[in-house]
Amino acid sequence: MSPLTFNIIRQSTQLSAARRGTVAMAHSPDTNATSGKKQIETSLTSSTKRVMETPGCFMYSVKGSVPHLTPDTLRLQGFGGVNVSIEHILQDHQPAGFDKWPFSLSKFLNLQDLILLCDIRDSSRYTKVPFNSDRHISMKTRRGVRQLTFEEYLKVVRAYEPDIIAAYADSISDLDQSEHGNRQLIGPGAGFKRVCKSVDRSLKWLDQILQERQGIDTLAAQDEAAAEIKKKKKGKKDNNQENGVDQLVQETKKVHLDPVTTDKEPQAATKKPWAGVSVFAHVLGAQIEQERIRSAEETAKREGVDGFIVDTNTLPGSRDEIFKLMKTSLDHLPTDKPRLIYGMQTPEDVLRSIALGADLFDTSYPFHLTEDGKASVYSFGSNNTTSPITNGHDNSVKTHRWINLWDDEHADKFVPILKGCGCYACYGGRHTRAYINHLLKSHEMLATVLLMGHNMHQYSEFFSNVRQSIQDGTFEQHSALFVERFGTEPERTGEIHAAQIVLEAALARRNRLDGDESEEEIAAAALAAEEKKKEKERLRKERRENNKTKGLRNMMNKKEERLAKERKQEQPLHEQHQQHAGDESSRQG
Amino acid sequence: MKSALTWNVIAKCSTTKARAAVLDLPHGSVNAPVFMPVGTQGTLKGITPEQIESLGCQIMLNNTYHLGLRPGQELLDACGGAHVFQGWNRNLLTDSGGFQMVSLLKLAEITEQGVQFESPHDGSLMLLTPEHSMSLQNSIGADIMMQLDDVVSSLTTGPRVKEAMWRSIRWLDRCIKAHKKPESQNLFAIIQGGLDPALRKQCIEEMVKRDTPGYAIGGLSGGEEKDKFWRVVTQCTDLMPREKPIYCMGVGYAEDLVVCVALGVDMFDCVFPTRTARFGNALTATGTLSLRQAKYKDDFRPIEEDCDCITCKSYTRAYLYTVVTKETVGCHLVSIHNTAYQLRLMRQIRESIIEDRFPPFIHKFFKDLFVEKSAYPEWAVNALQSVNVDLMKGDGPH
Repeated sequence: MSPLTFNIIRQSTQLSAARRGTVAMAHSPDTNATSGKKQIETSLTSSTKRVMETPGCFMYSVKGSVPHLTPDTLRLQGFGGVNVSIEHILQDHQPAGFDKWPFSLSKFLNLQDLILLCDIRDSSRYTKVPFNSDRHISMKTRRGVRQLTFEEYLKVVRAYEPDIIAAYADSISDLDQSEHGNRQLIGPGAGFKRVCKSVDRSLKWLDQILQERQGIDTLAAQDEAAAEIKKKKKGKKDNNQENGVDQLVQETKKVHLDPVTTDKEPQAATKKPWAGVSVFAHVLGAQIEQERIRSAEETAKREGVDGFIVDTNTLPGSRDEIFKLMKTSLDHLPTDKPRLIYGMQTPEDVLRSIALGADLFDTSYPFHLTEDGKASVYSFGSNNTTSPITNGHDNSVKTHRWINLWDDEHADKFVPILKGCGCYACYGGRHTRAYINHLLKSHEMLATVLLMGHNMHQYSEFFSNVRQSIQDGTFEQHSALFVERFGTEPERTGEIHAAQIVLEAALARRNRLDGDESEEEIAAAALAAEEKKKEKERLRKERRENNKTKGLRNMMNKKEERLAKERKQEQPLHEQHQQHAGDESSRQG
Repeated sequence: MKSALTWNVIAKCSTTKARAAVLDLPHGSVNAPVFMPVGTQGTLKGITPEQIESLGCQIMLNNTYHLGLRPGQELLDACGGAHVFQGWNRNLLTDSGGFQMVSLLKLAEITEQGVQFESPHDGSLMLLTPEHSMSLQNSIGADIMMQLDDVVSSLTTGPRVKEAMWRSIRWLDRCIKAHKKPESQNLFAIIQGGLDPALRKQCIEEMVKRDTPGYAIGGLSGGEEKDKFWRVVTQCTDLMPREKPIYCMGVGYAEDLVVCVALGVDMFDCVFPTRTARFGNALTATGTLSLRQAKYKDDFRPIEEDCDCITCKSYTRAYLYTVVTKETVGCHLVSIHNTAYQLRLMRQIRESIIEDRFPPFIHKFFKDLFVEKSAYPEWAVNALQSVNVDLMKGDGPH
């Protein structure tokens, strides 16, 4: 029985597939911990049901923390879940060291009161990695590309015990590396055969995962099957070779080994089931429509799947083409399970996706705004129609969805980012645009803390208003108004505000303003270390090269000496003298 | 001169010169001895004002030099001062701005008129005079402001030290004259005189005549020998009026705080706890943990078991190992812990003074931190001996 329940509260009109609902986890991860792990009480442990309202978001995290937010400021956000990427948090010594791992991942990350979803790759963006194989998936860790085998994945799930685990899937990634805007395929793109393989592989893995969840050791079964085949082959070989002695040895070995393996098997087959872990399956098929349909339909057949993930980050083409591919998947999925979408982050993309029946997203949009120094000022819903007038804006002019606090115009604006906003920075007018402008220009980290809090709050408000509009039956109408009013988000091109460029150049030049810039110090130290290393490497190489040539020269000289000696014996005495002198000069040269 | 503070000593240590007091300032009461975290540019390194409040911080430092450059005097005047600007409703202390000019700018030149320096923005020559410093600090609106002093390195010897001392006195007079809000902002004088006891004595005599609301011991923590440092401190506290707060500038290592409190100092500030946090170093009663080290990757304990800060309540060393010096969150978390550690240390010192068990507290503090008596810093042992605490003798009375 899955701990996850999905309830649809309200289905939108025939105009769209939008729906409002809840995703709920039955227990806190600590109350149903499967293994005899050490339980440590913390103030945040709660046994109450954890709920996410849909359409809604998992909070995007980096290394298991929502960027810039400490546990207390995180709790001010209105999202019920967190998405953690295994490629961010898996340490170089894990999963080998999982025997020391004392508790669930949500406890490790102090997220017990939230629904924790774990996926292998970063959900916010596309990064190119080498193709996956039958045995492993490539992921990008801080130390470069790393391969995660299926076996390791199962270890990770058992050790981390997330509330929801994304299934191990062969997602094809062969887009151009540029993260924003330009989504071009490299070369002709994955061919039909490769896409088929990715769908098949992922389904096979999914079946194994679902079995593992029930406590069946699929790997042991696999090993056994493999061993059986090997044995048979070996037996045949031995028979063919008619090597009596070898066969005897083999057989005695078998006798000795057999009790051990039979001892192992029942133990392996009754592995602990993952009682508290739900499974979300990736729906694949790349850019090939019929494969998308097959993947969706086949995945939907698996009863044990609790939800679906459609990753649009890896899809090529224009926005419209990507939406079409996503729609193909969504249209062939059952409506009674939640659908999580990666890569649809801007408000208008979210609205379009919801209209196609998407339920869950992530908060990488507010994070990206924050990194740019931008603060959200968009809004969705009933006040949408009135505020342009109250704000004194001309209706024909598109209102901005954000303001950039790097802009000089905010330097003397002693007003909150957004009047009436309930976020930590704005509430009660505690922090102003001018202050955040000052913090950005002073290279102070509180800037991103305040901006992240604000942008997350506004994103949460946006979703809350969307849910309300689905309830009220005004979703489609308000969506149209939103796009009319705010237009579409300009494609991010990794832009950096001019003021930021100036600041960073100044910081680099001045090195230290207040003797208080650890980042610069670290960067400088790293650079120095890097150069030292390079220099060392260069010297070593030089030395090696020197030794090599010296050795070669010695060898040559010896050879020549030998030859000379030989010649000496042959040559008449008067010529010997000449030869010797010539030798000397060549050696010196 | 006028004072906008009240200073009530509520307990005195019966062995050392330590005292516990309540300092009432325009933005609330401050329990002394107090450590003041340094929020250089109007913010304490990624920690929100609410978080700082919840750590029990009652007074924070801002640097005049930085705020004068950005946001600048005009904007500070426009919004009503630094408290409003940064959303901090408790007390603020600002330095004079002189120290940064000497320590950060190579091209600073000090004349009788003031400190001349090259603007880091456009390279033009600027002059910071006592009058300008007062004007800036009046705009900032700090509850305690510092006079502009002529800072020389504590390693300097010869006539320059004497010159700086006398000039600091002349500049104090100019500061007092230029100070526009003595009824709402307290001006502290800064005692100079290098490591020379005679100069220090003279300086104190002159400055006490000016009757400022409080006094600071300046010109230390510049790389001088610790054994000379504590002798200057103890001489100053002996000569300074006991009915006013005494502030030792730039002191912040845990053992320095404990020793200086015993020598009679009431107020401290240092960037150390937050700066070292950004390098992944966490302060604890048993020493510093460098959380970047691989030995913490499987350490599932909090930084300090009995710490009640949000970092220790939420995360293990193993988790912090993965984020320190890499994520801003890692920096915030260790900064919060280090500030909590520092403020808790001061609270513990204060409670022990009130309950008159400061000497045993000192014994325990040094034992926890250095373990072996042979590892105790000699200067600290000497300094404490001068106030009747013999670290080498037993564990102290309990």
